[in-house]
Amino acid sequence: MSGKNVIVRIAGAAGDGIASTGEILGKTCSRMGLNVMAYNSFQSAIRGGHVWLQMAIGAEKQLCHGEEPEVVLLFNKTSPSVHVPDVKSGGIVFYNAATIKKEDIESIRDDVNFYGLDFKSMVDEAGLTGVSPIMINTMLSGAMVQALDLDTSIPLEFIKHKFQKKGDQVVDLNQAIFNLGADWTKNNVNEHVFQPKGDGKAKLFMTGNEAMGLGLAAGGLKLYSAYPMSPATGILHYLATIAQTDKIVIKQVEDELAAMNMVVGAGTAGVRAATATASGGYCLMVEAVGLASMLEVPAVCVVVSRGGPSTGVPTKQEQSDIDLCIAGNGDSPRFVVAPKDPEDAFYQAARALNMAEKYQIPVLILSDFFLSEHFETIDDLDFGKVEIERGKFSTEWEGEGRYKRYEYTEDGVSHRVRPGAKGAQYVPCSDEHNEFGHVMSDVEAGLPHAREERVKMHAKRMKKMETMVSNGDIEAPTLEGDENTETTFMTWGSSYSYAKEAINLLAEEGIKVNHLHFTDVYPMPKEATLAQLKKCKRIVSVENNMCNSLCREVLAQTAFEVTEHINRWDGEPFTGEYIVNEFKKIAAKKELAKV
Amino acid sequence: MTTTLEAKDFKGEVHPDWCPGCGDFGVLNVLQRALAESGLQQHEVAVISGIGCSSNLPGFINTYGMHTLHGRSLPNAQGFKLAHHDMKVIAVGGDGDGYGIGVGHLIHAMRRNIDMTDIVMNNSIYGLTTGQTSPTSGEGMKTKSTPFGNPELPLNPISMALGSGASFVARAFSGNPKQAVEIYKAAIAHKGFALVDTFSPCVTFNKVNTAQFYRENTYDLAAEGHDASDLQAAFKVATEDTYASGRIATGIFYQNTRPCYEETEKDTLATPICDHELGITADRAEELKARFK
Repeated sequence: MSGKNVIVRIAGAAGDGIASTGEILGKTCSRMGLNVMAYNSFQSAIRGGHVWLQMAIGAEKQLCHGEEPEVVLLFNKTSPSVHVPDVKSGGIVFYNAATIKKEDIESIRDDVNFYGLDFKSMVDEAGLTGVSPIMINTMLSGAMVQALDLDTSIPLEFIKHKFQKKGDQVVDLNQAIFNLGADWTKNNVNEHVFQPKGDGKAKLFMTGNEAMGLGLAAGGLKLYSAYPMSPATGILHYLATIAQTDKIVIKQVEDELAAMNMVVGAGTAGVRAATATASGGYCLMVEAVGLASMLEVPAVCVVVSRGGPSTGVPTKQEQSDIDLCIAGNGDSPRFVVAPKDPEDAFYQAARALNMAEKYQIPVLILSDFFLSEHFETIDDLDFGKVEIERGKFSTEWEGEGRYKRYEYTEDGVSHRVRPGAKGAQYVPCSDEHNEFGHVMSDVEAGLPHAREERVKMHAKRMKKMETMVSNGDIEAPTLEGDENTETTFMTWGSSYSYAKEAINLLAEEGIKVNHLHFTDVYPMPKEATLAQLKKCKRIVSVENNMCNSLCREVLAQTAFEVTEHINRWDGEPFTGEYIVNEFKKIAAKKELAKV
Repeated sequence: MTTTLEAKDFKGEVHPDWCPGCGDFGVLNVLQRALAESGLQQHEVAVISGIGCSSNLPGFINTYGMHTLHGRSLPNAQGFKLAHHDMKVIAVGGDGDGYGIGVGHLIHAMRRNIDMTDIVMNNSIYGLTTGQTSPTSGEGMKTKSTPFGNPELPLNPISMALGSGASFVARAFSGNPKQAVEIYKAAIAHKGFALVDTFSPCVTFNKVNTAQFYRENTYDLAAEGHDASDLQAAFKVATEDTYASGRIATGIFYQNTRPCYEETEKDTLATPICDHELGITADRAEELKARFK
């Protein structure tokens, strides 16, 4: 477990202000130096769907949003039956008494403390005018902040900031409503939950999508084209806010085909360009990713995984797209990296832009719904660690003789001259081509010299897959924890944190498990990966999917087979508890791994 | 000091692989002349294509360029142009590429109005795949995929362009190089997206829309006093003078001076973004992070 923490949940209809209530709470904690992990569970509906947000708050890094909430805010009448059964025994539930009947909610459990806030009578009693029933979210925020004994001056400042454009009166009204909720709680609520104390050092509170966008910007992104698709759209939204200040061309285009092809065009012209999409949108980009491979053009695409196939489960969690990212027509060089959390997403996004230019390849950053949409605190992001490496690239051509864009080299990477340079004219070609880029596939196809050229040029491109590894630019999986445990959890991407949480929970029971985690999933450094795998006695994979995509990839790339699995594919991310329970089920078949 | 180039200076190293007599030879010659007469240097131009017989053109011209995917010349060309807007970008391809598989991009490119030219070599047939019906094949036309006659109406690229907000819409014919050179020069000089539908007959698979057919059935709009600033007049000509009417207009149908896309992003595009320094300064990093605190 992530030290002592408190789990809170906020639930209601889409449009009730769940997200803004959560943001106020999260930022309040973050400014106080507390660690937060927040998970949004929402449906693909603009209004009317039931949504909730759960947050773990503690003094240490939070790895999991937890199972049983201790403090709960419920906004609408759908809420009680869905959420009250989950509440931890002895927990506190604040609810909107205008929409939820006392007898309907308080009869569900007798081991939970219920507090219905009667918004109308409270504001009337306080003599407030100009109120709207939606402002119950501000009142309940006050109740929550007070119940956790957080610093109320921080949310009051957020309220001021949020409403100051509307004038002092609106600010005063909202602050008064917040205080009503806080004061009422102070006077009426006797139960105490764990009240975490921060270290006073403000942290960053952001989503994976925001961290990814920031990492791309830090890495020198100059053009971003995209077509909206949940859960990738948050990157577009974030980058659009800094487009003008940071001089990045942001284009929402007609479809995913345009988005990826525009990235390839911009990459050809010598800028760092990227796009992002969700699983289904990426299907439409596959051909253009192959184009980048063939033209040897740097291109970055963030693929945010969600449940599939087809439209699948649009606003839910799944990790089943490793194969998709590797797939395409023909053998095509590329690099696939899966960040483990928002902080990692920042650095991996910047790294992706470097890898794309250094090896003149498409780079796919494989994210997922949970990583992209959830908020968490990050101590800091070090922009100083981001270095721009452009590889074999120049804006002028001063070489001898005729420029060969695709010159055969030992490492498979040719010198790239930016179009516009005098005297180096070339045309990157999606057909097979020779060193100059001249087409070898039409009238010359099948002729002996064209066959020879095809063999050499294809091998040159694919050579880059080996070069990335031999240059040490691809990381082997990391093995964390005691090397002498009987069991290893094997994860990739965002399952990292949950598995780590599960390992902590198991350690409390005296069960030792260590952790093998993959960030770079394609290519894998075969020898180094095998060496890590062979250090493990019994490997259990933990993947947010049904069909064990990482295990398949490990088998394909190293011939090592992982045969025990913990899976979840109901659309929700793991929790530490979920993994522990599943592990006990499969462990029961064998002897529990007590060391 | 730069010298004025001639058409031959734009001749590529590779000889075209088109069928003898293909209209695309004419388009290549016209484009090379238009570039030279526009005072451009080879390295200042990028010719970007999709896939098809006509899309092989960038390989035969001495400029920068790209030979991309079927239907995707325009997104590649727009990405290229936004990245390096000091260069002249010219998309080329056929009617299958531009009006079939890539038509979605064309419509949006026209309303977006990035400063570039799109030359669609229109032969009303799929040539590279050996003779199937194309988006501009006439009703009733017999092809390998429509042996009993094409049941669909042909797409009208000119009225589509006029209806999509294109700021420059023209039609040329490869068999009339004198007029075509002037149209291409005007398109290249135009500040915004210029569509030039160009009849470029396929001698192998289209026995209906031949060079002879176009010589007999086209006329020059300019000679009839057409006002290219009049959108309604352009629509009238585009919809009345069609294949079916046997009297097909060539020339500049319409041109306006609305700001091109680059002018709407003046700050970001004050200099080409490919010349910008990369990364975020330490001070700016603190500002960016402050928003998340």
